Amino acid sequence: MPEITNPRPSEAEQPNGVGADPVTARVHDTRAGLAALIDEAEAARRRRAEGTPEDGSAVCAWNHFENIPTFYNWNNRPR
Amino acid sequence: MGMVDGWSGMHGISAVPAYVVMQPTTLCNLDCAYCYLPFRSDDHRMPVEVAAAVAASVHPWTRTGRFSVVWHGGEPLAAGREHLAALFAPFGAGVEHHVQTNATLIDDAWCAFFAEHRVRVSVSVDGPEARNGDRVTRGGRPAYDRIVRGIDALRRHGIPFSALCVVGDPRPGVAAELYEYFLDLGCEVLGINVEELEGVNTRANGHAAADVTAFWSELVSAWRADPRIHLREVEWTLRYAGAVLDGVADEVLPRQLDPIPTIAHDGSVVLLSPELAGFDDPRYGDFTSGNVLTTPLGEILAGAAGTPWIAEFLRGVEQCRATCPYFGFCGGAHAANRYFEQGRFDITETDHCRNSKIRLLEGVLDHARDHEPTAV
Repeated sequence: MPEITNPRPSEAEQPNGVGADPVTARVHDTRAGLAALIDEAEAARRRRAEGTPEDGSAVCAWNHFENIPTFYNWNNRPR
Repeated sequence: MGMVDGWSGMHGISAVPAYVVMQPTTLCNLDCAYCYLPFRSDDHRMPVEVAAAVAASVHPWTRTGRFSVVWHGGEPLAAGREHLAALFAPFGAGVEHHVQTNATLIDDAWCAFFAEHRVRVSVSVDGPEARNGDRVTRGGRPAYDRIVRGIDALRRHGIPFSALCVVGDPRPGVAAELYEYFLDLGCEVLGINVEELEGVNTRANGHAAADVTAFWSELVSAWRADPRIHLREVEWTLRYAGAVLDGVADEVLPRQLDPIPTIAHDGSVVLLSPELAGFDDPRYGDFTSGNVLTTPLGEILAGAAGTPWIAEFLRGVEQCRATCPYFGFCGGAHAANRYFEQGRFDITETDHCRNSKIRLLEGVLDHARDHEPTAV
């Protein structure tokens, strides 16, 4: 399984402006499978009605993902 | 801008948080084996003056968008409804209240309280009964039946809830079992926390890389078969992956770190990592950045980088940015994991990074690779 074998990002740049670091490259290499998964996730979000922030649900709107407070926040979240 | 210029998010600490974490009491009625909290057998309650001081600082921040107050602990419900209501009162209607609870105290009266105060509820449960062996009462007895009784009360009252699940043995087989359990439980949101070495929990958390990656990959498969639950880790990973494919990966991270102020029962403030609250270190002192009873919270946040451990942590974030290809996904190793695993804040990759960030992304990619649509 890939680990960090060459941690410093390469100087090469891809057409989309993102450097060809190994992680970015692997995401691009997985494009077909990811695209299908991402589409399904979007459909699932719509079914969960995550577009309406004031519905009193435990889920906040997808657009408010950053703001799903506390434990559902990503960065340095408390646990 | 991309990695050629360096990821542009997570530069410094925001002066305005999205939420504050409050400790209404240090007490917890459970004694879980993996808990990181010290003093959880003592009932030090937060005076209303502390809540009032925080509320005064928070008020201007609530005008510009959602703002949340998260009642953590200890076990927040152990403070009792009357005291919790008194602590809520200074905040006014502009904030959302959240509790992270072990659910054991939830009954009809608590459900009425949640409804009255529009509290968003997240419960801590680790899956089926056999997986909750670490969650025990102060007398060492299994807490599972009490947890389930509390969750049943939420369901009976139609109160939506989230769940947090600690996984001590991330490996294939476990993920599918867990996801099925949480579908039955009826939570709307699920967060999976691979157990961490932090606080007073000193159990080691190195795992075989292939096992952890396969755990996450299996979790994606289970979720994909019935994606009723908002699964935090999958949502975030797909959001990042989609941004990479769209060429906007650098826009995913917040521009600055959220300071996540944790207000301890006595008004002392620990930033960035609530897990550090209550600890002392000869080099770093008690990790606090001030006390709301003597200094307004906004002033404490403005001076955050002056706290010595935070200055060291910010150097550590820059080290992550400069050396780790997962930075755009992760935003930098969390402070508590750096400290509790390696004793410093300017080191980079932690077990938590490996278990919960790197192998998560790799597991999602493995799943996607193994499930590519058939070419026609």
